[in-house]
Amino acid sequence: MKKLLLLLFVFYSTSIFAGTRGTLYIAENETPENLDPANATNSTVDQLLVGVYDALVQFTAGETTVSPRIAKSWSVSEGGKKYTFNLRSDVRFHDGSKLTAEDVKFTLDRLVAAKGNTMNDLAFYKGAEVVDDYTINLLLSAPFGPFISGLSRIYIMNKDLVKPNLGDDNGRSWLAVNEAGSGPYKVTKYKPTEEVVLEAFEGYWNGWSGNHVSKVVFVYISEPSTQLALLKSGDVHIAPDLTVDDKVDLKGNSDFKVDIGAAATPLYFQLNTQGKKLMQNSLFRKALVMAFDRELHLNQVLRGFGNMPDGPLPSNWPGHKKGTEAGFDLSSAKKIINENGWAGTRLLVRYLPAIEEEKRAVEQFQSNLKKIGITLDTEGMTWPSQAATVQKLETTSDINMIYNFPSFPDPHAILNTSFNGKLTGYNGGYNWAQYSSGKVDALLDQAASSSDQNQRAKLYSKVQQMVGNDHVVITVSNPGSVVVMSNKVVGYKYNVAHHQTFNYMDIGLK
Amino acid sequence: MSFESIKNISLYIIQRIVLTIIALVVLSFITFSLSYIVPGDAALVAAGPSAGKEKIEQLRVEMGLNLPFYEQYFVYLTKLSRGDLGKSWFTHQPILNDIKDLLPASAELVFFAMLFNIIIAIPLGVLAATKRDSKTDFSIRILVMIGAGIPIFWLGLLLQHFLASETGLFPIAGRLSFSNRNFEGSTGFLFFDSVVQGEWGVFWDSIWHIILPAFTLSVLFIAVITRTTRSTLMRALEEDFITLARSKGISEYRVIIKHALRNALVPTVTILGMQVGWMMGATVLVEEIFGRPGIGKYAVKAVTQSDIHGVVGVVLIVGIIFIFSNLIVDIVHLFLNPRLRKNSIGNL
Amino acid sequence: MFKLFNYLRSPIEKGAMIFVVFIVFIALMGSYLAPHDPYEANFKNTLSAPSIDYLFGTDAAGRDVFSRVIYGARLTLATTLFVIAIVAIIGIFVGIISALSGGVIDNLLMRFTDIWLGFPPLILALGFAASFGAGMKAAILALIFTWWPNYARLSRALILETKDKDYILSAKAMGVPNLRIIFSHLIPNAFDVLFVQISLDVAAVILVISGLSFIGVGAQIPLAEWGAMIADGRSASKAWWVVFFPGLAILLTATSFNLIGDVLRRELDPTLSKVKNEKPS
Repeated sequence: MKKLLLLLFVFYSTSIFAGTRGTLYIAENETPENLDPANATNSTVDQLLVGVYDALVQFTAGETTVSPRIAKSWSVSEGGKKYTFNLRSDVRFHDGSKLTAEDVKFTLDRLVAAKGNTMNDLAFYKGAEVVDDYTINLLLSAPFGPFISGLSRIYIMNKDLVKPNLGDDNGRSWLAVNEAGSGPYKVTKYKPTEEVVLEAFEGYWNGWSGNHVSKVVFVYISEPSTQLALLKSGDVHIAPDLTVDDKVDLKGNSDFKVDIGAAATPLYFQLNTQGKKLMQNSLFRKALVMAFDRELHLNQVLRGFGNMPDGPLPSNWPGHKKGTEAGFDLSSAKKIINENGWAGTRLLVRYLPAIEEEKRAVEQFQSNLKKIGITLDTEGMTWPSQAATVQKLETTSDINMIYNFPSFPDPHAILNTSFNGKLTGYNGGYNWAQYSSGKVDALLDQAASSSDQNQRAKLYSKVQQMVGNDHVVITVSNPGSVVVMSNKVVGYKYNVAHHQTFNYMDIGLK
Repeated sequence: MSFESIKNISLYIIQRIVLTIIALVVLSFITFSLSYIVPGDAALVAAGPSAGKEKIEQLRVEMGLNLPFYEQYFVYLTKLSRGDLGKSWFTHQPILNDIKDLLPASAELVFFAMLFNIIIAIPLGVLAATKRDSKTDFSIRILVMIGAGIPIFWLGLLLQHFLASETGLFPIAGRLSFSNRNFEGSTGFLFFDSVVQGEWGVFWDSIWHIILPAFTLSVLFIAVITRTTRSTLMRALEEDFITLARSKGISEYRVIIKHALRNALVPTVTILGMQVGWMMGATVLVEEIFGRPGIGKYAVKAVTQSDIHGVVGVVLIVGIIFIFSNLIVDIVHLFLNPRLRKNSIGNL
Repeated sequence: MFKLFNYLRSPIEKGAMIFVVFIVFIALMGSYLAPHDPYEANFKNTLSAPSIDYLFGTDAAGRDVFSRVIYGARLTLATTLFVIAIVAIIGIFVGIISALSGGVIDNLLMRFTDIWLGFPPLILALGFAASFGAGMKAAILALIFTWWPNYARLSRALILETKDKDYILSAKAMGVPNLRIIFSHLIPNAFDVLFVQISLDVAAVILVISGLSFIGVGAQIPLAEWGAMIADGRSASKAWWVVFFPGLAILLTATSFNLIGDVLRRELDPTLSKVKNEKPS
């Protein structure tokens, strides 16, 4: 009997309270920028915060539609310009205080003042109105279809905790190293150069039924070989940054699971449609598009870890239209170049050499273009520098490489961000092809303000066709989010709405 | 010491200090210019890619970017004197704090590399000089040639591959093993902190982790010091007073160590002092390969993030260390070299 | 300079000279000798082991490592010689002014030089890279800024030594213009010694440039620079050839130039070491 008790004691001593047990160790190669929810569009920040804060609604890992969280229910009125949310009354922050509508309003006001990146997905947001403790109205200046989806990155913070610490930078300094959330885990240690520790929050409103870990430890290991060694020794459970070779090797190993998350972060060569004369010529761009071999890239560079791209939108998304983008055909490309006397042209591509996939894609492209008589000069840059160059038309290079990390699985997140004329680089957005087509803009705006999903799908189909005919981008790949983990990990699912994060709040250890 | 020489020494030291201050000013001018001429818009970078135009303008005024060059430089100097190296636009934390946290790691690396340097190079140099033109001398000279020509990062990769990855004799990367990763010391110098806390496990662990990186870093410098020691000792051994000592019947050992070496070490020590600067610069390579935190790695990361203040902060700190180590070398040189004490002022 | 061959004593020194000549030859004739286009990517043949067709194997983009090493010789040597040429010119210029002016100017210039003597070029290069963008430009600038003091010091010492010699004094007495004296007598006299420094510096500069390229601040991929090639090949640990051969190239080149420099130093003037090693006070 004593032995049994002892065993039980040992078993439960690793849990903080009944319902959770074990410590999950996750290796990560990039140290987090900070803890500020305003930066939650950055994956290293989101990775930590996704289980520390709650949002009104959220995408559960593995799902493509939102489910209620802090908001129990909501209704839309005034032609899509007013959203009324009914909040749960049992949500508590980590310091024990209750979450009310005031906290929601405070969070949004602060994000607007601090110009948080997460507000970019809430296009026409105008303001918030508190109706009572658990009812709040969010007002828009115009209807916006994906508005609810966009709220999944708006992490609600504790007004009483944050307000006194706003300082003169909208709380950016304080929130960089402190948290004020209500999510299932609390941040108990934040040492970005070593590790970040999260511990289960006993008072979490959703309770702890099922298999959950008591602690989550993020360790920052920049060396892939070290991550591999630690994974093999059992010191870490999840190692996302192994080399492609290692991932291939471990695929057959029964002690480990290699999870290939459904690919949803396309990589593009964006062709400057308002650049020099030749780049403005749609036929010339067509030749460029036909000069890249996506299949070779998928097999050799990604080693098969991804999906074959077919146009700018991932193939399994609603509204996807097949065959809109010109395929690989080097001989036809060469013919176009020769027939028009365009051989000898020099182009410039800018990219991030720190990202292996971009480097290899540029190398293949450069080599293929040489074969059809075009010289491609390359300029490796850092992210902020590259972003700065596209903010003026005169300084934008002929071609720019960029990933699209959609914040939520809605075609709007990719197509609008990449092709709307209001979001060109010189207007501060990610449409680095500087593509501005009135017709496409009209379709995109119409789809954005409609809530009829069928109609939206049809409109987005048309957009893809037009963009494809204008040869605006080359979709290089849809890389899979490949994560290797120990087979002790139960419940990991890739979350397409929170790229490069882990659903640690759903994970348990065997 | 005569009054004359005391006066000379003091004037010499004062002169050196004045020069040090001038050097620091020149350094600050350069680091400031670097951050000033960054192409592109500092306000834009600080505001982030999705900020509106008004926010950018507002930031521009706040950061004082519209002021003329000299005014901005003055503001920069004022901030420096208060220890404000600016904030990393990335982490929103003061850069001085970031660098302060990481400096001990780089300093440890340099310290141990210097240790290896002295322990290995000087005996080798003595050996080569005393067995001049023998096979031993020859082999040492070959080793020196290779050591002086081998790229540090390549050597590091090879050592890491053969002695760590493949055989596991040494750890692949990091300052401490995974199990010791939470060790916190008060100074940041692992070796000191672990001993102070009585954590001998951590102490030996950190030694185990620093051997390969420190050795990699030291190879190039060992080559230089071996060669220097050899040539200066050879020349010293040819001096008259050595022949005199030998004729007096003093043992060869004492002749070499007590008489010749003492003189020969003077230029060697000078060069050792000058190597500190280079070593601090070269830590980047070793930190990168062996996954160790440090200011070199910090600077490289800052470059990739276009965090000009971060980079400039490191240049400034390394520059300051470099300038002060030169000052110390000069003063030590003064005391080591009797000739200087008499001629300090005249022979500028 | 061709008397050099007479000075080579041991087989190793002869080997070094042969290698130096060899590598210079490769640098000059590289484009004709490389069996493949060093920049042609072939993703169907990535990371293949050394073979008849690809003597040093292929890298992660399917490029021939052997051809890239050959091209790298040209790139590396050209950049190195360029840097050294500029640095030497600046240094000699400053050294002459300092030596011939004497007094306060001499003092000031030497103090200014002392500030920079030995400043780590790697760190400064990072600074330039952050300002101007990473690339050879930043690396070259940083090297120029930090290297010229060596030549300034050296030329000053040499000029000082020579300027009071009899034949110079008599030339001045005869009314030969100063500029002619400088260019026809002082500089050529110093050149032997400077050449030693240059030869030794070639090795050092090569190491710094490849180091900078390795951390990503110097040459950018797809340039076939040896340091950049090593960085590129790091992630593929099984394909040892991608890292090994460029590194070997650096090692052999730097070591050979070092050996030659040493030979030169030994032969041209044994008392030279005294001028170089002691920190002048």
